[in-house]
Amino acid sequence: MPRTPRTLAAAAALAAASLVVTACSSSDASEGGEELSTVSIQAPFLGAAPPQQGSEIEKRLEEMTGKQIEVTWVPNSSYEDKTNVTLAGDQVPTVMVIQGKTPGFVKNAEAGAFWDLTDVLADYPNLTTENPEVQEAASVNGTVYGIYRARDVMRASVIVRKDWLNNLGLQMPRTTEDLANVARAFTEDDPDGNGVDDTSGLIVPKWPGGINSNSPWDVMATWFGAGNGWTERDGELVPNFTTDEWLQAVDYEKSLIDNGWVNPDYATLDSASWNEPFFQGKGGIIIDVHSRAEQIRKLFKQQDPNTFQDYVDSTGNLVGPDGELHAHPTTGYSGFLVIPKSQVRTEEQLHDVLQFLDTMASKDAQVLENNGIEGVNFTVVDGKAQAVDTPEAQALTEEVASWAQLGTNVAGYVAYQPKMATEYEQAEYDERRAIEKADMEDAVFDEAAPYVSQTYVLKGAQLDNIVSDARLQYLAGQIDKAALLDAIERWRSSGGEQIIAEINELAQGNS
Amino acid sequence: MTAIQPPPTRGVREAVGVPGPDPSRRVGARVRRNSWLYLLLLPGVAYFLVFRYAPMGGAVIAFKDYVPFLGIADSPWVGLAHFQDFFTNPDFPRLLVNTLVLALLNLCVAFPLTIVLALLLNELRLTLLKRTVQTLVYIPHFLSWTVVASLTYLLLSVEAGPLLQLVQSVTGSDVTPLTDPGWFRSIIVAQEVWKNTGWGTIIFLAALATVDQEQYEAAIVDGAGRFQRVWHVTLPSIRGTIVIMLVLAIGQILNTGFEQIYLMTNALNRSVADVFDTYVYFVGITQGAYSYSTAVGLFKAIVGVVLVLGADRIAKKLDGSGIF
Repeated sequence: MPRTPRTLAAAAALAAASLVVTACSSSDASEGGEELSTVSIQAPFLGAAPPQQGSEIEKRLEEMTGKQIEVTWVPNSSYEDKTNVTLAGDQVPTVMVIQGKTPGFVKNAEAGAFWDLTDVLADYPNLTTENPEVQEAASVNGTVYGIYRARDVMRASVIVRKDWLNNLGLQMPRTTEDLANVARAFTEDDPDGNGVDDTSGLIVPKWPGGINSNSPWDVMATWFGAGNGWTERDGELVPNFTTDEWLQAVDYEKSLIDNGWVNPDYATLDSASWNEPFFQGKGGIIIDVHSRAEQIRKLFKQQDPNTFQDYVDSTGNLVGPDGELHAHPTTGYSGFLVIPKSQVRTEEQLHDVLQFLDTMASKDAQVLENNGIEGVNFTVVDGKAQAVDTPEAQALTEEVASWAQLGTNVAGYVAYQPKMATEYEQAEYDERRAIEKADMEDAVFDEAAPYVSQTYVLKGAQLDNIVSDARLQYLAGQIDKAALLDAIERWRSSGGEQIIAEINELAQGNS
Repeated sequence: MTAIQPPPTRGVREAVGVPGPDPSRRVGARVRRNSWLYLLLLPGVAYFLVFRYAPMGGAVIAFKDYVPFLGIADSPWVGLAHFQDFFTNPDFPRLLVNTLVLALLNLCVAFPLTIVLALLLNELRLTLLKRTVQTLVYIPHFLSWTVVASLTYLLLSVEAGPLLQLVQSVTGSDVTPLTDPGWFRSIIVAQEVWKNTGWGTIIFLAALATVDQEQYEAAIVDGAGRFQRVWHVTLPSIRGTIVIMLVLAIGQILNTGFEQIYLMTNALNRSVADVFDTYVYFVGITQGAYSYSTAVGLFKAIVGVVLVLGADRIAKKLDGSGIF
């Protein structure tokens, strides 16, 4: 066949097309056994925008660790999806944040996708945990696949409109009974004194998680003594929703709703705008975490810095109907940093990466990740970090919030504690710490935290949905008590029984 | 224009058995003669090969227990286990019913409304008015589902939704459409109608523009009124278009629109809101059950193909026109 310009052009077009195709797949060159000069990290960010590439903090961290740092910041709301997609792709980073023991993670881990760190972490001083039980809880049946990101263990808090309490001459609630009384008064006794029936007591949003995901409904169940997640009954570990206390708690929650003491859009209110009804005076109680009280205080401060101390009061966990305090702790960690084997091939490289993470957890690095740059966005006063109040400083502080996602702090938080702007805020902060400490003594931990059952990996999330949907349907009055019990029975028969058996087997093997 | 080959018709297929010159030589000659046209075709073919056909190979994980770390090739075969799991799953009947009910509602409500709107627009004689109305009914199509869902939430919110207050004062009851399972389907169909009816008229308006004006004149002479003209002239003239659009719509029947439904779902209406698309997302992407969700997706695709071929067969039987 003669080579006419036409066939040449066709050949060229074909070649170009195939180049495009191969370019897509060859960007991930493996690095064999050489030393890693670049550490790529996938992490979530919580603010409006992720840190810029090549920012000052990144440069300083690179200087400190002697590695190039490349972070892929993923919005927190879609992090779970992105993680599953990343693991299935061929661009796996050197280090990645895993937010929880999801089925996708567990399957990969058991297939050997991540380095087993159980026996090596103790060689690195900043990666050696000060809370072995938290590390155990973050493990998969005792195998540690990641360096957990330590978080405050005791965070549950009841946040109440202080001005409304004062208007009605009420006290901060101490028990669940007080809570119902305050919610009733906030709904029916016109707490804002405007003569219009336009308030409700408790504010609850549409919760993104299912059962036992620290929703206000879950926290109340713990207060009622149902346990937190899994609990021991007659020598056997069972999920809390199989207990009588849990049903009692749900009935209590239902009575709050039936009486109209909860915001009517509790099934649809976006959790991102949870503060608004409180701030705007539509509702007066939020059950969430201490840091939310701080957020709301800031909202009031922006509105009027002279009176903001009159609006928000907060306390810790409430005493249940049995007269005892069952405090609701978190797991003490928020996911963990894992090291996938697809990038890090040899033990030497693993050592290298762990050394890097060890430096990233040193005191100087912790300050960069948690406080920022001294003299730019904070100054040290009495050994505490006081924020600098300029727009540039605030921009840096926002960036720092993202870098904090890389902090593990398993060997302890050694960066500066924040110094509050006003004495009032400092007093509230100190009180919060005192409440957290007191609540810790009665903390009810999830007794099955370290155990991952195979059946749960396969279908646990769908199973849990059965119960969490039924709970909300019962609360809304769409189904009756019998149907709620049916749903729990369906949980058992669709695989729940197996999960209970497997969890107990794991627990016995462990003790 | 003469160089463009007519699309293969039944005539060509029947001609295959006819003896003639060596077919491969014939094809070669044809390609050479029209090489520029084939070159123009190339990017399109490449697109379909790379982005539509190559990924189909990945569907093989529906028959494996896919673990990303092991890769597609090394993950163990499990045969039809995922399909078995899916069909015996208590969720299956619920998903099937929800998907089919929503799809049929859309087909029975949204599809005829598009034709009705096109006919109404076609009857408008004032060009300026017609153009303006057309533009106005196209606009909702360009809003994303997120915007449509937000608007719905605003209008129907329990706190201060104006539409909700209207509904409650008219019906005198305490309905909460956003969380009431009984309202979910109506809301979905209403959103679909609001967003896409106007846009859907485009193809029918194009078909209506080709209707022979002389037929109308003849009908007028015969004393036909407006409705009679629509019934006896307009509708028969665009019957072919309607059938084709219907066949295509039936092929899409299980694609219930992930975004729209995902955005309108909450714990209280999930019993009627779960459809195949949201289920695949929930199980596959958020929980990492890749193989299982691929099996579900594959099942959905097979049902879609069967439906579209079936509908086409029926259309041909009834009326002699179809696509394939």
